[in-house]
Amino acid sequence: MPRMMLFLTLFLLGAAAARAQGLAFVIDSAGAAVSVVDVGSEREIRRIPVLREPHHMALTPDHRFLLIGDTTGNELLFLDPRSGEILRRLTVSDPYQLQFSPDGKWLVVNGLARNQVDIFDAKDYHLVHRVALKSMPSHLNFSPDSSTVYITLQGTDRLAAIALGSGAVLWDTEVGETPAAVLWHNGQLLVAVMGGNGISVVDPATGLVRARIPTGRGAHNLFLSPDGKVIYVTNRIDGTLAVLDAQSLKVMREIRVSGGPDDLDFGPDGRLWISRRFAHSVAVLDPVSGHYDVIEVGRSPHGIWLNTHDHLPRALAGTAPPHS
Amino acid sequence: MSDPFDTLAGWLSEHLLIPLLWQVGLMRWEDLAYGWALFATYGAVQVALMYAICLPLERFFPIERWPDHRVELTDMFYTVLARVGLLPLVTFVLFFRVQVAFSGWLTDHGYVPPTLERAIPGLLGHPILTFLAYALILDFADYWRHRLSHRFRWWYALHALHHAQRQMTFWSDDRNHLLDDLIAALWFGVIALGVGVPPLQFPLLVLVLRFLESLSHANTRLSFGWLGERLLISPRFHRVHHAARAAGKQSCNYGAVFPYWDMLFGTADFTTQYAPTGDPRAPEALASGGYLAQQWAGLQGFIQALAPPRRHLS
Repeated sequence: MPRMMLFLTLFLLGAAAARAQGLAFVIDSAGAAVSVVDVGSEREIRRIPVLREPHHMALTPDHRFLLIGDTTGNELLFLDPRSGEILRRLTVSDPYQLQFSPDGKWLVVNGLARNQVDIFDAKDYHLVHRVALKSMPSHLNFSPDSSTVYITLQGTDRLAAIALGSGAVLWDTEVGETPAAVLWHNGQLLVAVMGGNGISVVDPATGLVRARIPTGRGAHNLFLSPDGKVIYVTNRIDGTLAVLDAQSLKVMREIRVSGGPDDLDFGPDGRLWISRRFAHSVAVLDPVSGHYDVIEVGRSPHGIWLNTHDHLPRALAGTAPPHS
Repeated sequence: MSDPFDTLAGWLSEHLLIPLLWQVGLMRWEDLAYGWALFATYGAVQVALMYAICLPLERFFPIERWPDHRVELTDMFYTVLARVGLLPLVTFVLFFRVQVAFSGWLTDHGYVPPTLERAIPGLLGHPILTFLAYALILDFADYWRHRLSHRFRWWYALHALHHAQRQMTFWSDDRNHLLDDLIAALWFGVIALGVGVPPLQFPLLVLVLRFLESLSHANTRLSFGWLGERLLISPRFHRVHHAARAAGKQSCNYGAVFPYWDMLFGTADFTTQYAPTGDPRAPEALASGGYLAQQWAGLQGFIQALAPPRRHLS
């Protein structure tokens, strides 16, 4: 009997330790749902149904809500980032990519299908500026002083800079075929050129391309590692993750990640969580060995975010099985 | 356990569609490629399922036997075009974008396109229940679209292409004039603005309904019995609609999947005869012409029906 108690205690402690690592939220764009994955056990524990077609998400500056944009549902969902519970819905037309400015004052939402960029006051979510841009505003990033937002225009091969205070377009220049992610890095802008084979290095003052760096066909997304030493680039066509030295921007290594690698977040153990758009799964990749585990999720995993690195209490969602 | 449809659609996207889009410089549409791949995958399975089930039914329990099956080849072409080919592509690239942009514009102007799930939040997370609710609404809308297509001369001139087939088989479901398909797409686009149709959320259930629609055209002696006939549309029930005497304005049995609307609005005919099909007044090209000849004849009939009647000088 005491032995059984010991096993039971160890089992419960083990389960608690696994769950204590937190949750990963993976948006299933074609399945109208958000998969909730237990980071410790690397298993999908449930799905949160949403209305139509969610794509991306952003944590509010106060860490109270995880905002999810449902594009064809025309709404922003406010989730509890600890549990995944939907706390509030806000009508917003065509919310695709969304991000808060570094100072937390602005929320910028791109309407990819509607060719518009909405700039909201992050305090009360009232629309301050609507900027019409041609065409297909896709990804965005900010200057560190939160004065400017940079928007890639997937339909016209351009990058636009918008002053957040006035909503004025500062410049709008060609940067390469079908640009996707944009990242402010060391005083310059890096743009993933999805229709090409690498990234463009752009002058944030003028929008002129200074250099082009090959990383792989279909370069889609860019991520600076938490220690600031490397930049990861997901290459959609080649099915690789390029690892760049953050200082020299030289490609140090390529890691094979099949299934259309897209979004990425950093796990608590240093591994990378990568959504595989065409393989209904997430790759949890050890960047040292290049080996990855696969977690099955919804049919079209897109945005991914882990609640393990935001000083959030590690309370957990229910453990009901996912809906079929 | 992964869904084999998702796996196949993902494989098509990763290894064929996306590299092709990259090669021809159309990566801006890559977001829609997966949707189309999924639609085409389910469409291909629909065709395979139809073939596997309906062909033996037609072979062993036929209503009519024909020495020559060449006219069915055109119907096969319509089916492949509609379920795995061009039409889903047009739907995704064009209508999807238009619908998103238009519903977003309405949202900006204070009209949030309603959805069933917003009206009945309990439906969220219950896909089968949600789908059934949508299926009933869309089937009701389709009943009226179909009934009106028989009512107006210009519309029936297009719809006659569907009725002209004298050798009706399970392949005949998709033989429609392109303009008739376009009107149907617009019709459902408007319905979608009223209730919010989720296009890709229930592909497996859509597959089942589309299969039932194909089955209802099969050349087979199949009835679902007294009760079954009143729950789902059978090949026998739908054949009455395709009977030569039911072509044109005076028709019956307009429903596609559920017979309830015909029963409710007094157009149901549960006679047990299996009458010959076709439209005796339709141009011969609509019955036995190739794809282009049928489309052209349908267009000519449409223009003639729209033209003002000629005055005869005495």
